[in-house]
Amino acid sequence: MSDEVNSKWKNVMNFPTNVVKSIFRNPLPSSDRGRAATSFTNFFLHIQPVRVSRQALRPTYTMGLGLISFFLFVILTVTGVLLMFYYVPSTTQAYGRMLDLRSSVAFGVILRNMHRWAAHAMVATVFLHMCRVFFTGSYKPPREFNWLIGVALFLLTLLSSFTGYLLPWDQLAFWAITVGTSIAGYAPLVGKELKFILLGDATVGQEALLRFYVLHVVVLPLVLTLFVAVHFWRIRKDGGLAKPEEAEGVPVLAAAGAAVEQPSRRFSIQGLVRGPFVKIGNLEEDTVFSWPNLLIAELFVLLLTIAGVMIVSFLFNAPLEQPVNVMHPPNPAKAPWYFLGLQEQVSYSAFWGGIGIPGIELLLLVLLPYFDRGKEGVGSWFARQRILANSLFLVFVIANVILIVIGTFFRGANWQFVSPF
Amino acid sequence: MRLALAVVSLLVMIGSGVVVYDQFHSRWEDNQRAYFHQALEQAKTPAERASLEGRQPKIEQTIVTAFGETRIDRCQSCHIAVDDPRLTSAKQPLKTHPYSAAMGDVFRNGRWERRHKFSDFGCTLCHDGQGRGLDAADAHGEDPFWPSPMIGYTIQDRWSKETAGHLRGADFIQAKCVQCHADKDFAGTPLVKRGRELFFKTGCFGCHRIEGLSSGTIGPDLTEVGNERKLDYLWGHIVDPRAYTATSVMPQFKLSDDDKKALVIFLKSRRGASMSESSVDQFRMQTSTTNPVPESVAVVAAAITKASTPAARGEQLIQGYACLSCHKVADHDGGISPDLSYEGIIRDQPWLIDHFNNPRSRVPDSNMPAFGLPESDFADMAAYLMTRTAPPPAMTPAETFKTLCARCHGEKGDGKGINAIYIDPAPRDLTKAEFMTTKPETRFLTSIDQGVPGTSMPPWDKVLTDEQIKGVFDYISKNIVREPQKQLKPRKVPEQNPVPMSAESAQRGQAIFTQRCIGCHGRKADGRGPNSLDISPRPRNLRNSAFIHNTPDRRLTESILYGVEGTAMPSWMDYGLTQSDVGDIVNYIRSLNTTGK
Amino acid sequence: MAAPPKSIECEECKDKQIPRRNFLAILSGVGVAGSLLAGVFSSFVFMKPRVTYGQPNRFLIGRPEDFPPGARLAIDTKRVCIVREGDKVAAISTTCTHLGCIVAPSATGFQCPCHGSQFDVDGNVTGGPAPKALSWFAVTLTPSGELEVDKDNEIQTGTYLSV
Repeated sequence: MSDEVNSKWKNVMNFPTNVVKSIFRNPLPSSDRGRAATSFTNFFLHIQPVRVSRQALRPTYTMGLGLISFFLFVILTVTGVLLMFYYVPSTTQAYGRMLDLRSSVAFGVILRNMHRWAAHAMVATVFLHMCRVFFTGSYKPPREFNWLIGVALFLLTLLSSFTGYLLPWDQLAFWAITVGTSIAGYAPLVGKELKFILLGDATVGQEALLRFYVLHVVVLPLVLTLFVAVHFWRIRKDGGLAKPEEAEGVPVLAAAGAAVEQPSRRFSIQGLVRGPFVKIGNLEEDTVFSWPNLLIAELFVLLLTIAGVMIVSFLFNAPLEQPVNVMHPPNPAKAPWYFLGLQEQVSYSAFWGGIGIPGIELLLLVLLPYFDRGKEGVGSWFARQRILANSLFLVFVIANVILIVIGTFFRGANWQFVSPF
Repeated sequence: MRLALAVVSLLVMIGSGVVVYDQFHSRWEDNQRAYFHQALEQAKTPAERASLEGRQPKIEQTIVTAFGETRIDRCQSCHIAVDDPRLTSAKQPLKTHPYSAAMGDVFRNGRWERRHKFSDFGCTLCHDGQGRGLDAADAHGEDPFWPSPMIGYTIQDRWSKETAGHLRGADFIQAKCVQCHADKDFAGTPLVKRGRELFFKTGCFGCHRIEGLSSGTIGPDLTEVGNERKLDYLWGHIVDPRAYTATSVMPQFKLSDDDKKALVIFLKSRRGASMSESSVDQFRMQTSTTNPVPESVAVVAAAITKASTPAARGEQLIQGYACLSCHKVADHDGGISPDLSYEGIIRDQPWLIDHFNNPRSRVPDSNMPAFGLPESDFADMAAYLMTRTAPPPAMTPAETFKTLCARCHGEKGDGKGINAIYIDPAPRDLTKAEFMTTKPETRFLTSIDQGVPGTSMPPWDKVLTDEQIKGVFDYISKNIVREPQKQLKPRKVPEQNPVPMSAESAQRGQAIFTQRCIGCHGRKADGRGPNSLDISPRPRNLRNSAFIHNTPDRRLTESILYGVEGTAMPSWMDYGLTQSDVGDIVNYIRSLNTTGK
Repeated sequence: MAAPPKSIECEECKDKQIPRRNFLAILSGVGVAGSLLAGVFSSFVFMKPRVTYGQPNRFLIGRPEDFPPGARLAIDTKRVCIVREGDKVAAISTTCTHLGCIVAPSATGFQCPCHGSQFDVDGNVTGGPAPKALSWFAVTLTPSGELEVDKDNEIQTGTYLSV
């Protein structure tokens, strides 16, 4: 009987430890095996490999752009959900709610600012991330499909930003979306239909506001999350971030007849992944454990992103212009900045500028990894062997940036040229 | 990396701390605490003291739904003492809102009872401003994007300094009283009443429409201008219309600052239907098919004192109907339109009646609205003008020019007289030597003598003798043109159009016209082609029938073939047009001008 | 045998580096935890509304003269009944404490039409399923001489304001 009492008493005394142990099965690691196990057995951490190459961790290689984009998405989701508690997607109430966010809602100003600036930043970093991937040749096989997913993510980001742009329901929002959806309406065959479905009406109004709200808050985040998940999965399955040594052909799988050294380590099979083959007898010297090195790097990027967004949000207020007045279009009426390049092109030719050229650019981006498959120059910036591809892409980037700059600063009333100085 | 992580994480923590701290110190809370403190000092009962001591600042909010759109006013979060009568001499924001019998407040049993209770009306209904704001700049509407800043108090950044100086003061709130108190004799809105009188006395009613008051079509409809525009726009636009609308033909009226203020308040009060009108009344007014007779007609008619002759009546009408806010007669001068002092000599009765009924029947591009007044009034006014027959005193040519010509042509003869921008075609720039020296003298003398039909250039033959006219012209040649007459090569221009008039000829002419001429003269040949804004003098309106009828074929042909020196009209002969082509064009032009004298 | 790679534990390195690492780790932990705390705290403050858009809980009901002695006036839109006894004024809630219906004044006090709760003139329960008495709300006299009811401020049954 005393055994029973003993064991019950033990349950009481060990209660805290048992709770902790049931959640965290492995203690904080202090050995390599422990570090490997932590990466492996944790739900959130096991998307990352146990060991990660040093090259991948170098800030100058990726500049953390992909991570920054993802963390901005997380910030946007968190701030967005919070903002949803106060915002009403009604043409009569939306503007008033924006004013309330600015006045009566605690932390309303900083939250709204963070949401707005993070959105703009995300469009920029996603684009820069795409540039990084291109310039390091990281779209080459086996990473073609991941590049496509990336392009899709870029478009989804633009759409998310665009749908959110309308929600304040002020003059800036209303006319920017009027301009943007009109550009979409130029698409051949489907343009008019597409515009009508998007707006729910012939012109921007309550229906458009509701549809854009649903798209912005539910549909696009869900699709984005899905694509991001696949994107991360693909990174793992494609063997992590692209590295130079992969270009050196197929690694030799312990060639028959090669001198086999006495293995200095023993491995038990933990899983099969495609990627760099384990070279028996020659442990990769340029990898480190994900726990804690990758974690620290990621945490650092997260906090840096948060710090950056917070500082900008503290110093600069997101714009809120006059309430919507359908009789008074501003002169000029400009699309959001990331579409101003398109709008500039449209001012020369409606179809080619708004649909034709962007369509061709998109098509080229999509076809790129299926026609540029050579493995030379992968894994380093501006590799000599890829000078043609890099130059072409650089031209594409600079051209688009210039178009956006012109549209933003050099166009005034009646879309005439003005000096910004 | 670990170091970087530590630094960044601490940075974020400190930043978050700053943000959180920042959130918890608002001005409105401080204001409320200051009020509790003051009220505590003046508290008389322990119960009052207890409730004040425990009182925490809270956002004070009034939601008003009774008057159209939902208003949420949080003004009382800072102005928490508005209903506390003990603080009438405190400093803002803790000052009591004034009580006055004029606002309907009643003094009873030793205290004031407010008629316009804040719980019923809120604050922004009368004061404008941004009700939801919780700091002063936000709430008062200082943000230039906010369409209705606190009226009579808040100046926005973009308002020019000179304009802004005139827009302060409690008077401007009268514009808001009108939302409900629309009765034009309401005691609380004397400046609105004055502004309304000025709307008629200055002639605004002729160009602008205000539903129920007037039906002018030249200027924009002002029925809701109070909703659409802020005070600085209203004031500034009256002071200098072209600073706001570059192509405006609105005159710059001579008004005192007080008059301008009354007009601005009146215009600000125009917000479409008044809330005190029933929706049935509004519907009736909106769908009425009869143009409202301007109040001025009834008011002016009522104000006519005993007038024994039509001319005497006409004189009073001319003064009552705001003619002199543009025109000049004797000592009264609006400075905008022609001098009517010699109208009895220059014009005749039929001309005046035609012009009254529709100014464009005599001057097709006239700026003057058709006022639509009763026929009898026009007859009397014409009768009065016909009594203006005293000729000008004897003057030197220079004085004659200054008195009679400079009003349009400018003191320097450069076509920039005070009337000039309101006249179409614009008065000739006599300093343009290239034009003046390449036309025969007879043409100019005829212009002065007979006038130029279809334009504002009147015939001076009955006002000045031939010698006087010649004297003026010599003065112009010597002092303004200052260059000798040029000898032109002889030109071959037929006296009459060699191509007979026919539909085919006119069609051919139109084809050539469309190919060559519409860039300046416009597709409709009205002188408003896309290039016309950049040319001086503007291209001729070829549909000006009065003018075209008075222009012989010879002149039309010569202008096209040889161009018009001193203007942008090129010599089309050099561009391949033959005499036959020109003949077709002339026929086309004539075909556009078949009506009219 | 190849030299051991750097990532394998090295006894000397451990002793030198770990205190610094620990310190930095602690600092980072503090930073992250602090930020998280600030974030969670701000989120809760953010979520709690500082204004509502419905009926305000503090409102004016008129002047003392509007309520002659002996008056019991129920203002249904505000869910309150104003009672005046001689020179004393009170405001009694007309929200039934059972399940929230609006009670009506009756000859003997108040009566709830939903489930039959009955209250006396002071709001105490005299019958029916109501669990507790009707609340009394604080009534104050504003400096401008008007009566103000504050439904956020409940007072003890029987507390009157003397006017």
